[in-house]
Amino acid sequence: MTRSATPKLVGYAGLAAIGLLAALAARLPELVVVAGPFAVVVAVGLLLARRPDVEAAVTVDRERVIEGDDVLVDVRLEVEVGAERAEVLLELPPDLEAKGDNPVLLRLKDGERRELSYRLHCRRWGGFGVGRVYLRVHDAFGLLRHETELDERVPLKVYPREEELRALLRPTETQVFSGNHVARQRGEGIEFADLRPFAPGDRARRVNWRASARRGALWVNEHHPERNADVVVFLDSFAEARRADRSTLDATLRAAASLTGRYLTQKDRVGFVSFGGMLNWLLPSTGATQLYRIVDAMLDTQIVLSYAWKNVDVIPRRTLPPHALVIALTPLLDDRSAHALLDLRGRGFDMVVVEVSPLSFVPDPRSELDAVAARLWRLRREAVRGWFERAGVPVAVWDETDETSSFAEALEEVSAFRRHARLAPV
Amino acid sequence: MVAYAVAAGERLPQVVAGVGAAGALTAAFALVLRRPSVFAIGIVGVGAAYAVFLALRHGTVDTRAPFVAAAIFAAAETGFWSVEPLAARATGQATVRRTLLIAGSALLVALAGSMVLVISSGVSGGVALEAVGVAAAAGTAAVVAVVAARAGGSRPS
Repeated sequence: MTRSATPKLVGYAGLAAIGLLAALAARLPELVVVAGPFAVVVAVGLLLARRPDVEAAVTVDRERVIEGDDVLVDVRLEVEVGAERAEVLLELPPDLEAKGDNPVLLRLKDGERRELSYRLHCRRWGGFGVGRVYLRVHDAFGLLRHETELDERVPLKVYPREEELRALLRPTETQVFSGNHVARQRGEGIEFADLRPFAPGDRARRVNWRASARRGALWVNEHHPERNADVVVFLDSFAEARRADRSTLDATLRAAASLTGRYLTQKDRVGFVSFGGMLNWLLPSTGATQLYRIVDAMLDTQIVLSYAWKNVDVIPRRTLPPHALVIALTPLLDDRSAHALLDLRGRGFDMVVVEVSPLSFVPDPRSELDAVAARLWRLRREAVRGWFERAGVPVAVWDETDETSSFAEALEEVSAFRRHARLAPV
Repeated sequence: MVAYAVAAGERLPQVVAGVGAAGALTAAFALVLRRPSVFAIGIVGVGAAYAVFLALRHGTVDTRAPFVAAAIFAAAETGFWSVEPLAARATGQATVRRTLLIAGSALLVALAGSMVLVISSGVSGGVALEAVGVAAAAGTAAVVAVVAARAGGSRPS
């Protein structure tokens, strides 16, 4: 705890000294009457000054919340030595907003236990530590100020809210474990595939009696098995477009979290790659634990400025298993991510690109030169999209701010492209 | 307070008014700019106007001095309160409590001042007594300055 004198102490000391000396010099007892109280206040204030002794404990009603939710934070103050006026400030990151007063002004009595409740509005996703309390204590005369910092931080994870999804993208290739995707291969399953002549070893239950009667020989049904798939959510974190408290990265993370949750519920293995100034990855796996792992990893995602040229070789090989569906979420602001994705496509990965449009973040051009520059930039983006389309990678544009556009529609657009293009594995 | 000194003054009221106006303006300037150190100078200026008034008048002690002291004290307290760098908003209860505390203190100052005036008017001075008074005043100022200087530096506990 640090102690410091307030300007009032210095001012009162000066007033008292000047007044008393003037009284003596001018032989005016009235000036003693005027200056004396200031001297008395300084003397008594310093004599009665005590060092406050306050302990704090912080609890949060939930450690994991969704973006936009409210969370209750309780700060319990145990006061050994109190003070006339105490300012209590709960330090909050800019993405958490206190509903109500923060800081608060209190009178702390000796031996008192005081509980302060804060309702925090989680405006943006992220991993936070909540509970650093700053205490500034003033004595009754306002002459001395004690300040201390009580660090009782507890973790608070704010997960991105989910985007609405109607249907998921179906991977071209499935894996060997059972799941919800109808495989292209034939085997044990429910979905009818074809008819073929009976072969020794076929089960009698697979005989199609109607077709056999018509053709005069035994024919059996073939089915498509239901298999799971490997999905890798690929986040481009080289650059973002930001304005006020909105950014393309926020939308990207919300979409990624929604995709991860939905694919994991249908038994798929989901992996995660954040490709940018900082590389972050998680090997594909299944289950609710993987969902938390991925979302926690997403919370660490940040835009780190880097001029280093990076390609997909820096990504660990096992992060991108063969036949995995790679869903890339990118604002297409950095050529490095576009080149990396094209490189992946060249290596045979089934890939789709959802472009999180940064156009709504661009200010209106103020001059003709600005307008030409904006047009050139848009043309350049069209060209990048063209690279993908020529490589057989569907690109859907999703503008989060456009009410007529949704992430679900962007995925449907990609699905339609894949259906009509009849993509074959490379 | 300045108005009282000007109105009750017998000689050179312009000087008293000038000194008082300078002090009041300085205090007002400090309040607007929230500068506590400048506010103290303003209060010294107002006190100086009263000192000039006292120096220019003849006769016995000013019987209204306790009220002047109470007024200056209350003005100083409320002034420093208003420029206090509080980040938190005070509750109504705290405001009322502090206002009553200042009013009570001002009353106490007036009473104590009256007592000091009564006592001082009945005691005849002498060289020894004055020397003791000078030493006490200088000592008080020195002690206060030392304590203030020590308290001014941050000290980790």
